[in-house]
Amino acid sequence: MTHQTINKTACILAAIIALGLPLVIRSATYLHILVLLYFYAYLTTSWNLVGGFAGVLPLGHAAFVGIGAYASTVLFLQYGISPWIGMIVGGILATIVGILIGLPTFKMRGAYFALATIAFAEGIRVMIENIDRLGPFVLNGPRGLQIPPLNLGLGNFLFAGKEPYYYIILFMLAAVLMLTYSISRSKLGYYLNAGGEEPEAAMALGVNVARAKLIAMAISSFLTALAGTFYAQFTLYIHPKSVVSLDLSFEIAFIALIGGRGSIAGPVLGALLLRPVSDFSRIYFGDTLPGLHLVIFGVVLILVMIYQPRGLQEPLTRLYDQLVDRLLRRKAGEVQA
Amino acid sequence: MNILEIKELSKDFGGLRALNNLSLTIEQGQIFGLIGPNGAGKSTAFNCIAGVYAPSAGNIFFNGHRINGEKPWNLCRKGIARTFQIVKPFATKSVLYNVMVGSFAKTGNRSLAEEKAMEVLEYLQFVKQKDMRAGNLTIADRKRLEIARALATEPKLLLLDEVMAGLRPSEVDDMVEIIKKLRNRGITIFVIEHIMRAIMALSDFVVVLHFGQKIAEGTPRQVASDEKVIKAYLGDEYVVSGS
Amino acid sequence: MIYLLEDTINGILMGSIYGLTALGLTVIFGVLKVINFAHGSLLMVGMYVTYWTVALSGVHPYLSLVVVVPVMFLFGYYLQDIVIKPIFKAEKEVREPITVIIVTTGVWYILDNLTLLIFGPQYRNLPDNPLKGKMLALGDMLISVPKLWGFVTTLMTAALLYWFLQTTRLGRAIRATSLDRQASSLMGISPYKVYNVAFGIGTATAGIAAVTLIPFYNVFPTVGVLFDIKGFIIVVLGGLGSIGGALLGGIIIGLIESVGPQFMAATWTEAIVYGLFLIFLFVKPAGLFGVKYDW
Repeated sequence: MTHQTINKTACILAAIIALGLPLVIRSATYLHILVLLYFYAYLTTSWNLVGGFAGVLPLGHAAFVGIGAYASTVLFLQYGISPWIGMIVGGILATIVGILIGLPTFKMRGAYFALATIAFAEGIRVMIENIDRLGPFVLNGPRGLQIPPLNLGLGNFLFAGKEPYYYIILFMLAAVLMLTYSISRSKLGYYLNAGGEEPEAAMALGVNVARAKLIAMAISSFLTALAGTFYAQFTLYIHPKSVVSLDLSFEIAFIALIGGRGSIAGPVLGALLLRPVSDFSRIYFGDTLPGLHLVIFGVVLILVMIYQPRGLQEPLTRLYDQLVDRLLRRKAGEVQA
Repeated sequence: MNILEIKELSKDFGGLRALNNLSLTIEQGQIFGLIGPNGAGKSTAFNCIAGVYAPSAGNIFFNGHRINGEKPWNLCRKGIARTFQIVKPFATKSVLYNVMVGSFAKTGNRSLAEEKAMEVLEYLQFVKQKDMRAGNLTIADRKRLEIARALATEPKLLLLDEVMAGLRPSEVDDMVEIIKKLRNRGITIFVIEHIMRAIMALSDFVVVLHFGQKIAEGTPRQVASDEKVIKAYLGDEYVVSGS
Repeated sequence: MIYLLEDTINGILMGSIYGLTALGLTVIFGVLKVINFAHGSLLMVGMYVTYWTVALSGVHPYLSLVVVVPVMFLFGYYLQDIVIKPIFKAEKEVREPITVIIVTTGVWYILDNLTLLIFGPQYRNLPDNPLKGKMLALGDMLISVPKLWGFVTTLMTAALLYWFLQTTRLGRAIRATSLDRQASSLMGISPYKVYNVAFGIGTATAGIAAVTLIPFYNVFPTVGVLFDIKGFIIVVLGGLGSIGGALLGGIIIGLIESVGPQFMAATWTEAIVYGLFLIFLFVKPAGLFGVKYDW
């Protein structure tokens, strides 16, 4: 019985619980909340590839959500192309944009990169808000696009109940977590870490730091766009303020930072801790105290940055490790006795 | 073929000429020393070779190929590795992790990279510390880590930039042994050093820089008794007449 | 033709005010080497302070400067001291701490949403506005009077700032610290004190900008966001750390916004501004007058 096996068991347990939850929880509202929870966890984990592994601060990731959402929705509404295909198209588009942003900015210092991502995201939002058509494509400006819930079925990525969406996003989240884990153990992961910590030394050791960051950016933008399509198919209504807003970009970044960027569990942990705060403050205080959850986020963010810059996952993982050690020692003690 | 040839290398920083018409040739398998007072331009020369700076004039040839202005990571692929005067370990990661970054230069496979890293650590008798956090190492071990990382990239030419600085005499001796071992692996070594007895013990050939110019070259013995060298280091009053 | 001239003049006036809003940002960057992402929110706070000062006392908006400038200075001073200084101390080695960006972004969010909570989302403007809608007639052209006041204020503030930094002892201490933090601390200048003062000055400048904006701009909790982003754009165009650059950058934006609609739809001028920003970011990140850092 080693640390490793306990970790693996914990993961399997979590997976079983996650798979079984919809059988226990029947309320559509709670399922909806869970779906969005996984959605944010997925977004922050994808963000983490650039914001954590590559060590820069992207503050405009909602742009990729928007690209994914609009690409698949426009193709679906106007040409009847299945959103699954539209998802891939959106992903590719987002990858291209991501590389275009990254190419010139990765050579500069952090603040310029952050600014450039904000400028791109806002630029895209302004563009979508102000034009109704982009060539042959109808974007409908600030009014957004609605997906009528007809022709339900897997092929059209449209379902009546929340359960199918739940399993799809859960699957996506699991996939992205496994991808992050395998990248962290791969050459790309080592190179990203090295380039983030000591770029000069890394370059002398054969690391093309800018290219590694670009690869991370490409992967991250692709994955983020997929979530955009999911969102469109789940909520059936997209408009610039919902999918390309600065608020969304910041929320993703804040959650990942509070949870702990650069680690694998951090972003998910952040989502697990903060999304309920956001949901409950919206449900119970939405009318009387709007934006309360954002104030809380801001305060938590600052406190975390001052006292736990590597995120809340650090003390939490340490606690977990201590518990596991104690469990192991007790088991070993039992065997010996 | 000579592994490294520098022909009339000059480097300017604005109005300051840090290197002036430097020429030297390094043969395969040598341990080649570069010495000179502080500010003589030694690190600048290294940085030109390693791709950090592009030469203002002149040419650098590695195994017959001109490498002026090539990027450091490409040079690493070609077989030039370097250490830094002020060590730059990946402090939050383990020793093994650090060395693996180096060994990934020649393979994409993680277990292979790990194997090679372990092999390098064993060669340098560094295995016990493999899981230690690099930021917690002593200065001597950090220097050893610099070399281990560079070694993992399988270089043909290794540039060591003042790798003995800050070490105690016993540690200096250990380092000299390590460098000799590296030569036994077939690596050509280009050393910048201030610690005289180390350079003299190690080098087959030495070049002396002063104010960016080469003022002497030869075997360690020849250079040590060269009047110009003594003047450069110690000033006019110390030149013993007749030597 | 006359409209072009009128637009140009109004564009320069408005642009100078944009420059004023970005002035604080550029000073803070020049000294602390930090891009203060909360700058727009500070401007917003300045506008609310001005609004309430005028609403409660009935004075001419420009007279409220007497209250606004010290209040904003202290606000900025203590914001830096309490929230940002700990980060600096933790990341002493890093030349440009990214964590500070994150923290100022947090401050932005807190300020904006706290204001929303306390004051509500409604747009406000001054109840008795002596400058409201006033126009000056120059021949056939109509020049906006509040913007003219703003233009003059901008020039005076910029000149004052420049004089302060060049001649006073504190100003020179600030410049020394911005050049080399460690060296100036060895000279007996406490860098953290300097940072606090610089942040205070930057915030006070935002307060002055707020006063010039209030006569013709609505006050609402997220008014800062627009100026925040414009501020970054201006400061990149003009060069981080340069006072003249901030003014010039602001004027460029102002001109694009006022002259642009003559030739294309107004929304495209916004796109042009973003496009220009990105071009500069990629091609000449140091801006027109910026000092070249080893970025």
